[in-house]
Amino acid sequence: MTLASLTRDWEPMAYGFLDASAKREIRRKTLKAISVPGCQMPYASREVPMARGWGTGGLQVSCTLINPTTRIKVIDQGADDSVNAASIRRFLARVSGAPTTTDTLEADLIQSRHRIPEERLREDQVLVLQVPNPEPLRPVQPNMSIARQMHADADYGRMWLQLYEQIVRAGRVMQGASYPSLVNGRFVMTPSPIPRWDVPKLHMAKHLTLLSAGREKRLHAVPPFTKVEPLVFDDVPYKVEEHAHLMCHRSGLKGFFMNEIPQADGTSIHEVSDSDLGVKAIHRTEGAPVEIGATWYENGEMGQ
Amino acid sequence: MAYVATRGGERAIEQSQRLFKAEMGAITPERVAELRAALPYLIDRVMGEASLYDEDLAALALAQTGGEMYEAALLLRAWRTTQPRLQVAQPVTQDALFTHRRISAAFKDIPGGQVLGPTLDYSHRILATEVLTGDTHTPAPVEPAAKPSPARQPSVAAWQAENGLLDPAVPDQTLGNDIPDVTREPLLFPAKRAHTLQSLARAETGGALALGYAAQRGYGQAHPTVNELRLAEAEIVVEHPRGTRFSAGRVKISQAEVVDKKGAGLRLGFSATMGWNEVKVIAAATLDLNAPGAPKGAPTEEEFFLYHTEGVEASGFCIHFKLPHYVTFQSSLDAMRDAKAKAAAQQAQPAEADATEHPTTEPAQ
Repeated sequence: MTLASLTRDWEPMAYGFLDASAKREIRRKTLKAISVPGCQMPYASREVPMARGWGTGGLQVSCTLINPTTRIKVIDQGADDSVNAASIRRFLARVSGAPTTTDTLEADLIQSRHRIPEERLREDQVLVLQVPNPEPLRPVQPNMSIARQMHADADYGRMWLQLYEQIVRAGRVMQGASYPSLVNGRFVMTPSPIPRWDVPKLHMAKHLTLLSAGREKRLHAVPPFTKVEPLVFDDVPYKVEEHAHLMCHRSGLKGFFMNEIPQADGTSIHEVSDSDLGVKAIHRTEGAPVEIGATWYENGEMGQ
Repeated sequence: MAYVATRGGERAIEQSQRLFKAEMGAITPERVAELRAALPYLIDRVMGEASLYDEDLAALALAQTGGEMYEAALLLRAWRTTQPRLQVAQPVTQDALFTHRRISAAFKDIPGGQVLGPTLDYSHRILATEVLTGDTHTPAPVEPAAKPSPARQPSVAAWQAENGLLDPAVPDQTLGNDIPDVTREPLLFPAKRAHTLQSLARAETGGALALGYAAQRGYGQAHPTVNELRLAEAEIVVEHPRGTRFSAGRVKISQAEVVDKKGAGLRLGFSATMGWNEVKVIAAATLDLNAPGAPKGAPTEEEFFLYHTEGVEASGFCIHFKLPHYVTFQSSLDAMRDAKAKAAAQQAQPAEADATEHPTTEPAQ
């Protein structure tokens, strides 16, 4: 018996970059997060070869879930070709050998910053959202220890007060993205800075959503078929961005979340934020056989 | 009109990295060796913030990043986190340190003596501009003292404890893998003592200084006296599977003990880090001294300073604001425009609603 026969060959990097102990911790914390929907689970959050705040939380979850057959899609602000999305996609493929795609329908694992694709996700798909700030209470309580206690007590009065103050001062709820939402009737979570347009997609969704904040070392989850209710007053309904009537100047798509592109003449044009949906629509117009899946929104209205 | 292919982003990334690297030219073993030899204090600072003691890797990280310190620390940390954990060394005690420099501001002289060691403290800060005009600046040789100071000295705090001025520190008996490790577990509050000291050891020097200085200027209750400051080398003693203990080498460390003298006895604040970095340990020890009882949200509160002196996290978040945020921006714009429209609509017909309630106080608009 020799030492060489007892040990594995030295490799410069573990499969999926993270070593086994880091992955084991993330798996355990992921299971915990799924078991208590919307509750933030602290985890060690190892350093990865990317700067903190650039998707390191999502990356650690993806690195843990990935295997050589996982088809991955990475988007940033809805776009596959955004530089940071390209960088993360390249890294994931490099450390795992997994195939990549831009098509939402083909993807097994979607890592995203600030958007949920417009095509409906299925039971067999996992969405990993990058989270800059996992704490919905941060605007009313920056101290994490106190905020943790408030979650334990379901002490969300100040969240309601904050919304009320906005309505009194500005005539409406001024929360843009990261709309605080009650998960499974118990924990208020931030859905990450997705637009209000995307929050209803999490409610009773078929897919699993994992939300991971690498810098802040917190992981929370929305399991499939879980209630996600934006915090609203009975008499002031939840309002998504008024994008239903906007049309994409490139693809002609209408009724989806749009990017506004300011023009030199003082006007704006729009392009669909889900870039791959736009690409597919263009290809379809050009006569190519493309499959566009069912979308959450139909004619600008959230479906059931 | 079709969308540009998705490879556009990848090409841009590749070329932007080339542009950055082109400025620095080839990284050679000679360059790395020269950096290591010429910039020991920078190497020390990077090793401390990375919490990875390897001068060659630190020099390489600096060479690779062109001296971008935050990037260098991140490179080293990302490398460090993938490395297997072979052994946890035996605890290092103060009196066992191979001490190069050791000073106390609390007493004129101390048992074991004040040892000035290597320092620029009393230098005149004048640039050696002659180097730029072709001369070589050769430092004058060190003249050894007639009687060398002892390599190992007791701690000042030990004398103070003996004299009833200070409650003696109770040694933590936790050993090996049972010692909480902040790189393998999340930092939660109230923080474990080991996590606090580890976080301060890894803290970014500038961050520790900014908050430590705030405490020193008066945002902290305790005014520090440097009880003892040491630059030393610590023996890394590890255990062979057979049970024998041996030294795996020495690492440079700095440590500072500061005391507060406002109470009935002296109170200690402590910090240590890898590499020689006096500013950091004095500032960090000041924060440690001020932490007990600090109000929530104060710069001297443990949660506040441990989060905000974490350089890799802080710098990463700061530069992340360069990433596109147009979705969140669009979402806010939508709310803002709608609020404006609502306000305008209300202004267009305020008379009826308001006039009925306050017929006389409504100012003309």
